Amino acid sequence: MQRWLLLLALTVASGWPGPALVEEPIDPRDIIRRAMEHWRGQTSVSEMTMIIQGDGWTRSMSMKSWSEGTELTLVRVTAPKKDAGTGTLLNGDNMWSFAPRINRVIKIPSSMMNQSWMGSDFSNKDISRSTDIIDLYDHRLEKVELIDGHEVYTIVSIPHEDAAIVWGQEIVRVRDDFLLLQQQFWDQDGVLVKQLETLDIAEMGGRSVARIMRMQEVETPDEWTELRLDQVEFDVDLPENTFTLANLRRR
Amino acid sequence: MATPSKILLRLAWRNLWRNRRRTLVMLAAIMLGVWSMIFLNALTRGMVEQMLIDGIRAMPGEVQIHHPDYRDDPSVVNSMPAPDGALLEALARPPVTGWTGRVKVPAMISSERENRGVILLGIDPTSEAALGFRPQDIVDGRYLEGVDDTGLIIGRKLVERLETRLGKRVVVMSQDPENNVADRGFRIVGVYQATLPAQEEMFIYAGRSTVQAMLGIGTGISELAVSASNFREPAQLLQHLQAAADPALEVLDWKEIDSYLGLMVDMMDGFILVFVILIYVVLGFGLANTLMMAVFERIREIGLMQALGMTPASILVQILLESTMLLLVGLIAGTALGVVSLLPLRDGIDLSAVAQGMEMMGSGAVLYPSLTAQDLLIANLVVLVLGILTSLFPAWRGSRYRPVEAIARG
Repeated sequence: MQRWLLLLALTVASGWPGPALVEEPIDPRDIIRRAMEHWRGQTSVSEMTMIIQGDGWTRSMSMKSWSEGTELTLVRVTAPKKDAGTGTLLNGDNMWSFAPRINRVIKIPSSMMNQSWMGSDFSNKDISRSTDIIDLYDHRLEKVELIDGHEVYTIVSIPHEDAAIVWGQEIVRVRDDFLLLQQQFWDQDGVLVKQLETLDIAEMGGRSVARIMRMQEVETPDEWTELRLDQVEFDVDLPENTFTLANLRRR
Repeated sequence: MATPSKILLRLAWRNLWRNRRRTLVMLAAIMLGVWSMIFLNALTRGMVEQMLIDGIRAMPGEVQIHHPDYRDDPSVVNSMPAPDGALLEALARPPVTGWTGRVKVPAMISSERENRGVILLGIDPTSEAALGFRPQDIVDGRYLEGVDDTGLIIGRKLVERLETRLGKRVVVMSQDPENNVADRGFRIVGVYQATLPAQEEMFIYAGRSTVQAMLGIGTGISELAVSASNFREPAQLLQHLQAAADPALEVLDWKEIDSYLGLMVDMMDGFILVFVILIYVVLGFGLANTLMMAVFERIREIGLMQALGMTPASILVQILLESTMLLLVGLIAGTALGVVSLLPLRDGIDLSAVAQGMEMMGSGAVLYPSLTAQDLLIANLVVLVLGILTSLFPAWRGSRYRPVEAIARG
């Protein structure tokens, strides 16, 4: 679920016409399914900055990202210099990482899935999970609000018994243009553990996008990871070899 | 000869108690020697035995069958098919008393707050219980109910580490043979306790079919554990299985699987032997010295006995009888003391104060002394035989005096 939402965060658009939501009862699965269909074949190129605030230190990274639909994403670090060239390629549930220093591509094994992605508060698993998100949870539409002329859906998602998700529930607030406002991760005792929040919404590339998103654990309010979108373009013609291992290797 | 030997016996017994203090000191020395041999033997043997039983249970089985590459790279790629044909037949025949097939792969377990590397075991609870992971190890919740149980059992220490508890869901992640992520949510249905805290953090258990489905390996297993009745000597079982198993598979007994354990057991047996010898040497010198003194003190008396017509052989026998009596009394008292001192320790000695050190040796925090009739007999026989041998010299010296010289010496 996280990856899909992250993608939304990175490349969110406002192209989806709001359906007649008021008249018919809304199935929250439909909201997600429509959003996914909406992104099928949609391409984007974006530049962003990731700011990691640790305990007494701050790190900042510039990245460029290409995406197509919800399955394919390539992220490459452009600055600082010592990390430049480091890349991540996502294809479905598979994830590869390229480290220019050792000039090697590795497929992220399951044992590394829980490790942090580029030192951030996101884990590799957060970044890579994509498919089946509809089927892994029971979704419930908690409420629909009208904020700034947009309908905002609050969806409570409870993972299935055998789903590979540790949370007790996830609460997502998403606008009718699929812009993610907030995603909360609750543990099985009903305690909020961490949340992803959109701090700023701006008009970029002709659409409303989440310009600043912050991932934060509740227990450590002074430590967080922010993703700031610097520039984004939609409907770009991407070369066919964009999402290949050979391209991941290229600096 | 009946009458003289009776006299000799009485003489020897009375002689013993003529110098009461000397005899009592000697008795105490023999008693302590025998007691320490029995006591420390029981402790060492108990430790070795427990280590062996724990070690074999942790393996489990005395003989295991694996894919030839599994031990070098215990991944899901190196699994093998479930036993069939000749092997399955061999498993149903003696000396096999029990066997179980297990899936055993490295995995990651995550709770909401923590994640750790573990080893995921897919077990068949009905056959597993006799060999390895037992229902009585569960301290909270329940044991697995079948191969398709979707619950998970984890160690007490791991529960702490993951900041989770019984009844909560966790995610277990591993990979399938094609290197794709294979993961699944599990509810914790049981918490177990192991002798070694390190094990509690290492192993998690789930139903075999559930794990096989998650990993996409059909009915494949990682290892086949087999046990027979005599765990100390697995050679016969090993041959039995080697003859039946696919030659491409690796069939090994516990001594090869855990060479450290095999070595440890051999070393401990050696220790016990060294210990017995050491105690005897100390004891032997004391015994020889006492008897020697007893002879020298009584040179005049020996001369008189010879003058009265006692043969040198009778004197030799009499001195030997003295030392034998001394030894027998000491042995009986020492053995009794050993048994009595071990009785209150039957239920184990709590060594939790040094548990960390014991764990490094691969042993648990409770030590169960093991007293065998064989050890008792050996300790007694060794002291008796070597004691008599030691007293031969003073006895021989005593029998060699000339009567006239001996009487004059006093």
